[in-house]
Amino acid sequence: MRHSKRTEILEAKPVNLDGFVEEWPEVGMVAMDSPYDPEPGIRVEQGTVVEMDGKPRAEFDFIDQFIADHAIDADIAPEAMAHSAEHIAHLLIDATVSRRAVLGVVRGLTPAKLLAVVKTMNVVEMMMALQKMRARRTPSNQAHSTSARDNPVQIAADAAEAALRGFRELETTLGVVRYAPLAAIALQVGAQAARPGVLTQCALEEATELELGMRGITGYAETISVYGTEPVFCDGDDTPWSKAFLASAYASRGIKMRFTSGTGSEVQMGNAEGKSMLYLEIRCILVTKGAGVQGLQNGSISCIGVPGAVPAGIRAVLAENLIASTVDLECASGNDQSFSHSDMRRTARLLPQLLPGTDFVCSGYSGVPNYDNMFAGSNLDPEDYDDWNTIQRDLQVDGALRHVPEERILAARAHAARALQAVFAHLELPPVTDKEIEAVTYAHGSQELPLRDVLEDLKAAQSVLDRGITGLDIVKGLEAGGFTEVAESLLTVLRQRISGDLLHTSAILTPEMETLSAVNDANDYAGPGTGYRPSGQRWEEMKRLRHVVSASNPEEEVS
Amino acid sequence: MGRTLSLTERGPATPGRHSDEVVIGISPAFGAFFSKTIVELPHAEVLRELLAGIEEQGMRARVIRYRSGSDLAVIAHTAARYSGSGIGVGVLSRGTTMIHQKQLLKLSNLELFPQAPLLDLETFRKVGRNAARYAKGESPEPVPARNDYMARPRWQAKAALLHIKETEFVTPRAEPVELEVAISLADAG
Amino acid sequence: MAELDPALDYPLAARRPELLRTPTGKRIEDITMQAVLDGEVGPEDLRIAPETLRLQAEIADGSGRRQLGENFARAAELTRVPDQTVLEIYNALRPWASTKQRLLEIAEQLDREYTAPGCAELVREAAEVYERRDILAG
Repeated sequence: MRHSKRTEILEAKPVNLDGFVEEWPEVGMVAMDSPYDPEPGIRVEQGTVVEMDGKPRAEFDFIDQFIADHAIDADIAPEAMAHSAEHIAHLLIDATVSRRAVLGVVRGLTPAKLLAVVKTMNVVEMMMALQKMRARRTPSNQAHSTSARDNPVQIAADAAEAALRGFRELETTLGVVRYAPLAAIALQVGAQAARPGVLTQCALEEATELELGMRGITGYAETISVYGTEPVFCDGDDTPWSKAFLASAYASRGIKMRFTSGTGSEVQMGNAEGKSMLYLEIRCILVTKGAGVQGLQNGSISCIGVPGAVPAGIRAVLAENLIASTVDLECASGNDQSFSHSDMRRTARLLPQLLPGTDFVCSGYSGVPNYDNMFAGSNLDPEDYDDWNTIQRDLQVDGALRHVPEERILAARAHAARALQAVFAHLELPPVTDKEIEAVTYAHGSQELPLRDVLEDLKAAQSVLDRGITGLDIVKGLEAGGFTEVAESLLTVLRQRISGDLLHTSAILTPEMETLSAVNDANDYAGPGTGYRPSGQRWEEMKRLRHVVSASNPEEEVS
Repeated sequence: MGRTLSLTERGPATPGRHSDEVVIGISPAFGAFFSKTIVELPHAEVLRELLAGIEEQGMRARVIRYRSGSDLAVIAHTAARYSGSGIGVGVLSRGTTMIHQKQLLKLSNLELFPQAPLLDLETFRKVGRNAARYAKGESPEPVPARNDYMARPRWQAKAALLHIKETEFVTPRAEPVELEVAISLADAG
Repeated sequence: MAELDPALDYPLAARRPELLRTPTGKRIEDITMQAVLDGEVGPEDLRIAPETLRLQAEIADGSGRRQLGENFARAAELTRVPDQTVLEIYNALRPWASTKQRLLEIAEQLDREYTAPGCAELVREAAEVYERRDILAG
């Protein structure tokens, strides 16, 4: 067949490199509208849920039972379930109904009912609801700092730049897992070197992640995965009870943590039990709620290619963020994995979280070029910083980032690398050379960095564990190297464990080291003119871009 | 010009007695319902490269079909257990591949190639070669893993569909079967 | 102890520091850089005390977060359990990892040895569910 010129042009568009598939509801390859999802319903006898969404208690799988016994408020459930799905959706978008009033109804809803509620909503309604239901008033953001070569100097420098640009949480992970202790130290040092109070984590297998947390090398944890069907949960070698116990273990050491889940993981692992992706994700959200965890990272996360490929998949991803917020959990809302070849589609996928604001708009934004991103790439990377800042300014929407002049960025990168040099020297780890510091200051990614002696680094990483090095040793190393402010900042972060203030829903530390959470910074959105709106100093900061023509002298640019 | 693959079942697979063999375990629908990987490499070519990689190292190769599951680790570990050298290669219809060793835990492996879309025929040849070298007791450099962060948006959902489809061909409790492999050039006309 | 009001008393470190002690009996303001350099502060001083977790549970309850409060209450109990034992119990709760007998022994140990009734209850509940769903060992 002969093709038109227009077809040829369209065929060459990046969006056509993305994968799209037909729905297949029988195996769960469907976003949120499946004939096989259960009908909502509940029966409570003597304070116990004896039937939920058409299933009698004797047939509950372990997820059903955990939700019924721990997440749902059985006392109010019959009354809450009596409302129509449309009515509850109206409560969600009606600005005159307070967030608290919505929570009073929602804690009595079953998974199928929550699904029915969001199925009545289009994406604009969901964004309106998310704007109100987000737990923390002030939106925030998270970045990844990783390296294709697990280079700790790069991780430190990019952590510093990300912190300076506004991220309040930083996450790393590894190509070679044994590198973890060095990467976690580098992330912590880099983060505190640029802007105090940034919290850091290292994504690892559950038990190892907990150990680094207990030692105070990392500041919080996030890679605690939950799943929506029993077989997949078991494949992940966990149950809701093991995960609930783990949650308490973190809190018992004063360490903040959240769970992780997302649409598509069950069908990806071939065991969706014929349910829609969103129905299964709602079960994950309620397991998190029932475990008493303060928050959840969701929004499909590493499975984004699956909902992204089916009709209404990105609507379902927004719905999962909305439901997490609606059951009063902190929501770190995805936008954290490579999603599309098309810049237009990447942006369209981002706006539903950016516009209403979430606790962490990205979880996270790649602070390193995507080729260095060891989470297999993010929806955004450093090449998008200026676009992000411009979108914030265009729409007067706070995505928690800011433009920073280059000299400050270079200074922060160098400062972080030097601080790491001091810490490594103090801890007798393989040296960070001046040549590496010079290179990392001006580098974009690992390709511009000198190679490190990987075997020596790995030996040193093991010795960090064997010698029982803790966060306090890093503090001492910083102080010994003359990095007093960085040392103070890290000590202050470590000291947070004693009070446990950061254990509350949506807690972050401000650069002034104040705790901001859903307790003391509760979202108070109640319609036009209320809630969080960027203003004052923050809005002035958002107005700055790389190139803005001066009004007083149009021959110059303001900086 | 393409090659055609003919796989003939020769009864239940048996553990090998030759220490110079590598067993390739293929998944339930490989070369059967499916004829090519996720990036449309013909299964005939994939198997040819794996076999050639093993044979060029002076080792023998045997092919079995795993029928009772579609989990790569299980398929690869089963191949290793049936292999006289204790080294096996598992390969799924969509192309995902693993080198395994009998003595290792099932969830461990010698080399894993999780991103099927990034595997080309040259890589399959190298996988065969490395498997043979492990079988000879050598410690080869792992086959370099390619990384492409745009593989997910393009292939993740299709990979899920392929996995689900493959799982439909699982016969519970069926034993692995020995295969006779014939790869021939398809007639031009 | 006085009832805490989330609106007035949170964050505790800023608003009610007099209520906070490390498990070793120190005040937050004792954890200074000088004290760290003088070797007077060890990792055991950078942990949360069970009393503090109970205060935070009050804040959680007072903010309408029942499950979060319950989690903090279990966490208060676990402050007494050594790191290694915590990891062992977590591993024992994984699917197919333990017999029912083993889980009940752990619950018993949590109850008797560590006075951790909330955690013991969670483990007992798991033992029942795991039996019904056939994910016990053996």
